[in-house]
Amino acid sequence: MTQEKLITEEETDILQEIMNIAFGKAAADLAEIINIFVQLSVPMIALVKAVDLPDYLKHEMKSGQRISIIEQNFWGEFKGSAFLVFQSGAGKELISLLGSDLDSSFEAESVEVLERETLMEVGNILIGACVGKVAELLQDVVTYSPPRVIVENNPNDAIPQSLFDPSYTAIVLKTLFCFNERDVNGLLFLVTSQESIGWLKQALSAFMEQYE
Amino acid sequence: MSELQQIFDTVNIGLVVMDRQLRVTQWNRWMYQHSGIAAEAIVGSSIFDHFPQLNTPGFQKNCKAVLAFGNFSFFSQKLHRYLFPFKPVGSFGAKFEQMQQSCTMGPLRGDDNAINAIFIVVQDVTELATYEQKMTEMSIKDGLTGIFNRRHFESRLAAECERHQRYGRELSLLMIDIDFFKAINDGYGHQCGDHVLKSVSAALASGIRTSDNLARYGGEEFCCLLPETGLTSAAALAELLRKRVEGATLSHESDEIKVTISLGVSELAADDTPHRLLKRADEALYRAKKAGRNRVELQEGVNPQVPEFESAPA
Repeated sequence: MTQEKLITEEETDILQEIMNIAFGKAAADLAEIINIFVQLSVPMIALVKAVDLPDYLKHEMKSGQRISIIEQNFWGEFKGSAFLVFQSGAGKELISLLGSDLDSSFEAESVEVLERETLMEVGNILIGACVGKVAELLQDVVTYSPPRVIVENNPNDAIPQSLFDPSYTAIVLKTLFCFNERDVNGLLFLVTSQESIGWLKQALSAFMEQYE
Repeated sequence: MSELQQIFDTVNIGLVVMDRQLRVTQWNRWMYQHSGIAAEAIVGSSIFDHFPQLNTPGFQKNCKAVLAFGNFSFFSQKLHRYLFPFKPVGSFGAKFEQMQQSCTMGPLRGDDNAINAIFIVVQDVTELATYEQKMTEMSIKDGLTGIFNRRHFESRLAAECERHQRYGRELSLLMIDIDFFKAINDGYGHQCGDHVLKSVSAALASGIRTSDNLARYGGEEFCCLLPETGLTSAAALAELLRKRVEGATLSHESDEIKVTISLGVSELAADDTPHRLLKRADEALYRAKKAGRNRVELQEGVNPQVPEFESAPA
């Protein structure tokens, strides 16, 4: 199957619009409900084979830049994996974002451990908000796996191909995000599984019917 | 009792269900066992009535995220230690005063997909955390002396060099060697040699700050990384440590042994590398040895005792 046939241009446009609405709502909810202020750019949709994702990432980031990647799977009719790509050191900047419950009982843990745990928690919040809103607009309900750090402080040209399930011929939804008042930004990729593409096409057309 | 209810009560994890106002609606037997609070006593009341310590902005934030977005929240043991303050089960009490927990929180939906309730799953991970702590300690400490090992020292050295260069802060390094250690080993035996290594390590460790990183670098060689410390202060500390070891009498069985140490001191420069910092301290240590031992030498080309005067422009 060629990529052109996977999803039509019209469907791409609808999906982009849905993402745009979803991410806008996600950012508003994050600010209103849990006081996390994040800006999400207008998402871009690219059709990338999962096996080409490492190269795609390399192309998207500055060469040699060290990055960490958080992965979280989501299950529903809308099914796939979300990847959050942070620059190295982002975890340190984000520790204060998690609120004041983190007390001084952390002497035993290294800064590296704290950073990685923080990235996972922030990743979980961001991915949950974004994926949840997309699913909601498409009349779906999703559940999530716990977040995992799959790449930690690696140069982006050393991302192993094996990270991404090759059966996921992917619709990649890319958005840039940055946290207000913190020098942290990164990329969010949603990689939808092949299985859910049939459902996605139906859901997109159902979404449009509301306006017809 | 339904099959699911039986599992709910017998499974070896804690299960809690709360309504949107965070009032407990379900409380399984595991939770009762560890909290001492029976389901009848807690069902219907707010979780905060029984666990006021949960009433934090962070916990509230997670509940809101679950109720508003249908998010799942994961409370890792590493970041949170525990949600519910329970006593550890078994003999971990020495390491942990509270049961270490890994918790998950998520939404429960009704038939119309609306989020009606929130669940919490509590897993006891104390045993795992204990092993992890032991393993971590074993991987960073020297078995004989209990101070850090060389591998840990080298990773700290690289990290501290990077941090101090980034912020333009001072960082110094001591390289320390026990004088005539081979003679002690040969004369009194290896057990006595081990005793000397332990005693010298303890003497050095008691003379430094907690932020300093003292490690056994080789056989009878030690390194000490001194963050936020310039060459002059590092040299003063080196002299203090030298005197401390010189003044101590180490008794082993019936023998009374006097040992001395030689020290080399170096300081991080602007465009330095960890390797060069270490090399300069090592060279200074070599000169201290050459000059008769039981003394402190500084890295070459610097003498902080003598202020430098720049020649005035003509």
